[in-house]
Amino acid sequence: MNSTIELLAPRYDIAWYPWAVQYFFMIAVSYASLWLAAPALVLGKKAWLPTARLALIACVSTTLVAPVALLADLHQPLRFWHFYAYANSHSWMSIGSVVLPLYLVSVLGLAWLAWRPALQAQRSTPGLSGMIATWLSLGSGITPRALVAVVGLAALGLSSGIMLYTGAELAIVKARPLWNTVWLPPMLATTGFIAASGLVLVLNRVSRLCSQTAIRQMLYVLLVTCALAGLIAISWFLDGVNAHVGSVAAALESVSHSDSWRNTALWGGITGLALFAAVLFLLTRPTLRQKHARVVLTSSQPALFAWAWLLGLVAIHMGWMFRWVVLMDVQHVARNSAGFHHYGIPAGSSGILGIVGTFGLWLAAILLIELFIPWRQAQQGGLIATPTHATQDASTHSLTAKKGASSHA
Amino acid sequence: MDAIRRSLLGQMVRLSAGAALIPFSSLAQAGINQQPARHEGDPTKRYGMLVDLRQCIGCQACTVSCHIENAAPLGQFRTTVSQYEVQHQESGELATFMLPRLCNHCENPPCVPVCPVEATYQQRDGIVVVDSDRCVGCAYCVNACPYDARFINQRTQTADKCTFCAHRLEAGLLPACVESCVGGARVIGDMRDPQSQISRMIHEHRDALMVLQPEKHTLPQVFYLGMDERFTTRPTAEPVALEVLDPHGQEMGYEFHH
Repeated sequence: MNSTIELLAPRYDIAWYPWAVQYFFMIAVSYASLWLAAPALVLGKKAWLPTARLALIACVSTTLVAPVALLADLHQPLRFWHFYAYANSHSWMSIGSVVLPLYLVSVLGLAWLAWRPALQAQRSTPGLSGMIATWLSLGSGITPRALVAVVGLAALGLSSGIMLYTGAELAIVKARPLWNTVWLPPMLATTGFIAASGLVLVLNRVSRLCSQTAIRQMLYVLLVTCALAGLIAISWFLDGVNAHVGSVAAALESVSHSDSWRNTALWGGITGLALFAAVLFLLTRPTLRQKHARVVLTSSQPALFAWAWLLGLVAIHMGWMFRWVVLMDVQHVARNSAGFHHYGIPAGSSGILGIVGTFGLWLAAILLIELFIPWRQAQQGGLIATPTHATQDASTHSLTAKKGASSHA
Repeated sequence: MDAIRRSLLGQMVRLSAGAALIPFSSLAQAGINQQPARHEGDPTKRYGMLVDLRQCIGCQACTVSCHIENAAPLGQFRTTVSQYEVQHQESGELATFMLPRLCNHCENPPCVPVCPVEATYQQRDGIVVVDSDRCVGCAYCVNACPYDARFINQRTQTADKCTFCAHRLEAGLLPACVESCVGGARVIGDMRDPQSQISRMIHEHRDALMVLQPEKHTLPQVFYLGMDERFTTRPTAEPVALEVLDPHGQEMGYEFHH
């Protein structure tokens, strides 16, 4: 059959636009960062507070933006109410449409509870932020720690629903063999955690919180999730390597017939390994101790940790690219005709403008939080007597990129 | 790596980590993704189509008449005829293979259960239709159909597909593609009526009939007579036409590289 030539076939457009990538990316960062905030906010582990504060703003901002991207991917966005008027329990997407708003409310509830003591303390601030704090803090009552834990647990439960439905939604599609594998949902979740810990590292740097504890914790999370992603990829490959049809067979066919797929596979593999190796390198450097204070610090963790945000960027790239390949590139693989469909990203709202616009909206969300919410003092309920004391959390080792080592010593 | 070792590795994976995922997999496939109840349409009928490829000359009259009858936007089709140039492996003789494609109105349509608003449903006569007033245009069904039979209509921004021209069947007319077929290659009818032409042809050619992508277990109800098995799945063919793009990435036309 090598001599078969396809003379005539229609051109099939892609059905899901880059909006879908933005949604899957934002919602994955959202649920993963919620889990990163959980040790401090749900279990009350003080050592995780700096991480939780960063993870919470990452979570809230992405949770707000993700549904916008999802709505934009509908060709009839104003009919979104049909999801509720004609809900269909047979469809994973319909189940998702019920879970998503509940999840959004639970995340906003958790964030409000975590930020409330600091908001109460900020009420006396003159100007707009004082007004907003007065309005948002809703009275002077204490925020029960148990309530934070309960709402946190509810949010975690709903986030598992999001993980499940976003994965299952793709994995059940037999028409796209590359999606039709049980290994896709765990891989989506794992790469979500990679991206979320990367975002926490970046936010830790740009917010000048520069918590060393957060960096170390995120590097450990990255180490574990990168290893897990590798294991899932290997398991997926071994699971399907014998089959003539299915996900692995389709992937091997795409890689062998397309330069672009080959490059993508190489790029993904190399970036993943490099990220894992770099994280391992950082974590195995000698830890700075009191007795080493006078030793040259360039090779020690604190100095290198100042650059961990660069690894954060790589991690974000991994999480986003995985979704681009899964959602966009897979749609280019022809199902009934020969070769691959051509797809050039359009400049407009269904293409580049949509991608940039979603990130712009996210930036706006995070800037609004930075402007009006004292997120740096988020905690597991209780009361904050004075806002200045709250920053002196024992577990927070303030460390700026430039003079971190000296402040630590 | 030899087959036995690969098989062993595969089994090991399935037994270890894979075991944890199996319950989830069966839940996703069966429990939630099941077919909803059919409604509307005549329950005494089951429409199907038989395409006699021996009669098809690839004239695309069906493509054009469907396009006009159903007012599909330019470049979007409810039915098309794929054409392939094939060469005999031994004699080197060339021939053209024609393959009309349309919605298979499957007995187990994967496009139906995925719809989050039940806008797409299967009638009791087997025809899969879309309620375009309800459709939110999420395009999940477009991705879920293995036959590329669905598309998002650029004008209505909702899912669009072949309906066997249900509006014409109701009026006692044949679908546009069947009526315009020069060679009489397309036969539509009620498969529950043993006297219908399609029932008689199915009975007569039972062993020779083939459907597209049978391995997907969608149970297509468009049957092909005179089919080459190698074309039931995605053909291993070379695309002849390459899109030519201008410097801005806009399509300028096609170039044939043979």
